[in-house]
Amino acid sequence: MLGLSFNDYKLISSNAPHYVGLSNYQSFLADQQVAHAVNRTFVFLAFAIIFQTTLGILIGVLFWRNDKLRGRRLALTLLFTPMVVTPVASALFWKLILDPNFGVGNYFLQIFGIAKIDVLTSQSLAFPTLLVVDTWMWTPFMALMTLAALGSVPKAELEAASIDRLPLFTVIKTVVWPHAKFILMLGILLRSIDAFKTMDLSLIMTDGGPGDKTELIALSLYRYAFKSFNLGYSSAISVFLLFIAISLTSIYLYVLNLKSRKEA
Amino acid sequence: MSMADDFMKPRRKSGPIKLSTVGAWLVSLIFFLPIAWIIGSALKPKQYVLNFPPKWIFVPTLSNITEAISYGNTAKYFLDSVIYSFTAVALAILISFLAAYSFSRFKPAGTDFLMFLLLSSRFVPAAALVIPFFQLYNLVHLQDSFLGLILFYTMFSIPFSVWILKGFIDGVSTKFDETGFVYGASRLHVMFKLILPQLRPGLVAAFVFNIIFVWNEFLFNFQLGGIHSYGIPVGLFTSITKDGHLDWSFVASIGTIYVLPLAITIFAFQKYLLVGLTFGTVRGEV
Repeated sequence: MLGLSFNDYKLISSNAPHYVGLSNYQSFLADQQVAHAVNRTFVFLAFAIIFQTTLGILIGVLFWRNDKLRGRRLALTLLFTPMVVTPVASALFWKLILDPNFGVGNYFLQIFGIAKIDVLTSQSLAFPTLLVVDTWMWTPFMALMTLAALGSVPKAELEAASIDRLPLFTVIKTVVWPHAKFILMLGILLRSIDAFKTMDLSLIMTDGGPGDKTELIALSLYRYAFKSFNLGYSSAISVFLLFIAISLTSIYLYVLNLKSRKEA
Repeated sequence: MSMADDFMKPRRKSGPIKLSTVGAWLVSLIFFLPIAWIIGSALKPKQYVLNFPPKWIFVPTLSNITEAISYGNTAKYFLDSVIYSFTAVALAILISFLAAYSFSRFKPAGTDFLMFLLLSSRFVPAAALVIPFFQLYNLVHLQDSFLGLILFYTMFSIPFSVWILKGFIDGVSTKFDETGFVYGASRLHVMFKLILPQLRPGLVAAFVFNIIFVWNEFLFNFQLGGIHSYGIPVGLFTSITKDGHLDWSFVASIGTIYVLPLAITIFAFQKYLLVGLTFGTVRGEV
């Protein structure tokens, strides 16, 4: 892949691949569309992480406080199912729900007196809709990580805190947070790495449209490789993504090491 | 809606239902709603699926689902997915066990770096890796073959399995190995008879989650596979263009066939979920 990225290699042209040095990288850096896609991906990532972490922590705490909930296992199964459904399937499901003509989503909008809209082709709503679907898929993951993080807080310390009648904020700050922060951080990192790779969702739901409103970088990459068969250029983008992935992984492992060092 | 019934059932212990209980169930139901809607659409008689406003009360029918199973390649996609996932994951776990044992006991130089490489391969966008694989498979004529896809999925499942199994083997004291050797056991005997049985939770987690990952994998199956080797996610993807028009009953039925095994797996193996979704790097139960 690294080798290819230095070549002019288009499957649809009759020229054999030949060495072009850094020109793929130069055109990559100059490419406005790619730059926009990268920007958009980071915006997507930021919003996705903020929503999912906030909601996830709230839901996680809700279930943590309810460990004697009737049918807890079934409730958690229902909650966790969205995150194991492959994005291809989720995207299709939401396409059916959001269909402008007969989708149940529009039915609910109508109840509230809003006219039918096609959110997936709307200039202003397509991107937020993608975010909502992503949040639906991955909030359960953050809830799961919150549960794990809270589970790592020693029971004895919590009991001691409640005997001392510490105010809630102090308990969170001095007892819960020092134990829970690592797993939460890992959750956020894993989610960032994943959000960066989001492709199937926008491929099926909006195909990057309308215009390029939902064009994320992983989708552009896919398009260059399999729609225009420009393998040299798409390899250059791949290398760029690879670097980002490797740096995020390094942070992930760094945090993980901190955690195990602390446990040891 | 059996879950709703379960919830509505009068509580044996009388007393007010706690607000947080209601809240927790409500949240779960909201998150499940879109999937429930798909299952509902699959059970709906065909003429009602496109009704607007939606028809809420109908006599459920299985005819859409049976029709979808017997249509075209659906059954084959399903079977193919089962074949890939089980063969590839079984192979991957065997290989990973050997690798993880070596990493854990012999600690070859650069163990940390190798483990890092393994994990980072899972963090790269799939679209970035699919091109080199595509070319490689063209070169060695493995496209659209079971062998090719099983090899790929074995490779795909190894990083996670090594991570999780190494963690568990590290947790087994080397005293077991030493005692075994003192009694004259061979290395293989120690590995498979003494160590392996103690890794049960790790093996289950690795097995279940790799099956889910392979079951869900779309892009590689779509690009490296072909009409003879597509699995269920590709089946779902191509279901939108059945006979050149969109048949939502059909899509919903395939979706239901696809999603039910997943939901049942989550229910049965819930305590392995955490270790599964963090690639074996975080342990604990929910």
